[in-house]
Amino acid sequence: MDGPAAVSHVGVENPPVGSSFDVRARFEPGEVVVTVRGEVDQLTAPVLAGVLDGLAPAGPVDVVLDLDEVSFLDAAGLGVIAHQAVRLRSTGKALRLRSPSPSLRRLLDLTSLIDLVEAFDQPARLGPVQRETAVPDSERETPAPVEPRLAALGVSNDVVDAALRLVTALTSATVEGADGVSVSLHRHGRVVTVAASDDTIAQMDRDQYSTGEGPCLSAAAEGLWFHVTSLRDETRWPSFVDRALQDGIASILSSPLTVDDLPVGALNIYSTTEGAFGPHEQEMAALFASQASGILTEARVDQGAEDLAVRFRLALQTRELIAQAEGAVMAQQGIAAEDAASLVRRLARRNETTVREQSAVMLEATLRETTIERLRP
Amino acid sequence: MTDSTASLEQARQELGLSHSELWFRYFELGGMSTALEVEAYLYEALKPGVHDRDLVVTALNERCSEMGGDHPLPYSDDADG
Repeated sequence: MDGPAAVSHVGVENPPVGSSFDVRARFEPGEVVVTVRGEVDQLTAPVLAGVLDGLAPAGPVDVVLDLDEVSFLDAAGLGVIAHQAVRLRSTGKALRLRSPSPSLRRLLDLTSLIDLVEAFDQPARLGPVQRETAVPDSERETPAPVEPRLAALGVSNDVVDAALRLVTALTSATVEGADGVSVSLHRHGRVVTVAASDDTIAQMDRDQYSTGEGPCLSAAAEGLWFHVTSLRDETRWPSFVDRALQDGIASILSSPLTVDDLPVGALNIYSTTEGAFGPHEQEMAALFASQASGILTEARVDQGAEDLAVRFRLALQTRELIAQAEGAVMAQQGIAAEDAASLVRRLARRNETTVREQSAVMLEATLRETTIERLRP
Repeated sequence: MTDSTASLEQARQELGLSHSELWFRYFELGGMSTALEVEAYLYEALKPGVHDRDLVVTALNERCSEMGGDHPLPYSDDADG
């Protein structure tokens, strides 16, 4: 699709990446109009991001993103929109979207991204070149409204999963230091990953499911956020931590997803940098987690009896572990149950760990001693 | 700090623990009281035994540690009671 006559006030011009992609920026008093044509996808989104980032040094101005001739826009494109919206808001300016398609509007609504941008449909103020008169209608190839193909996101098949994948992409694009993002949910009594930014991250989630521990599972089960600033110094979830370190992960932020205050899943952000998530990043994570929670609430994803059963099973496992450790202490020291409990608790506190972890360590030690005892001639 | 029962519910709220999650954690530590009884401890409608109270305090303090804090709530066997 050949665009109409070239706009004369071109601030930034880029060689088109695909045959049909093109971004042009035009400076106007108080705002910059960025006109995008063609497909915005994994390949072309970085070009759009580059152009928009390139506007930053020009000082704080509103940015109008003209999407009228965008034929396709996927999660990567939405990530760029989210990132720019946040960046502009931090300087007191706005990102305005001209002519987003109905599908795009729906996704903006669904992800609450609509709160960060202004969307409008009226024709943009025409620049110095009157586009409509520059190219007679008869010569325009494009049929009237162009409907972005959002099928790539699977919207029609499963709106919830698509929206969550979108939140994942947005989180990935906007949270500084996020090298991977995933969303895990309780489904049919198990925790499953419904969206992951890449295979390594999907594997990171699976490692937690298979070891039965990790920040993502804790957040999903307990409805609390878990922040691992340095995985190397982490004492919780020992089996999972080893695997995560091997995969080069250094810090993790897991935020709970809730429906009616009950935990239903977690939004997990992984970084290869230690201490990657400062207060600002935590705030962004909370924002996206609440968006994802909103999507789930909207879809009435309820935490059924099945999921309470999952929490109960987890609690029973922990309770059994702690009881065994206390039982061992009672036998070794010849003390009463409640004294054994306070002894384990005091040890845990001294070692700056939890009663659960302390119990696991003590049980392992007891088991080792007993084995040595047995093997002794 | 002889009686700090009143601060238990306050601590629970500040730590963002739901009543049910606090009960699960108390139960994991070996607690035998029901969720309703634990809630009653928090609101001082029931007086917990020394051991039960320590379990509730442990659950709250461990959550505090997870969030980067220390153990602010005293236990029954703290040296300086």
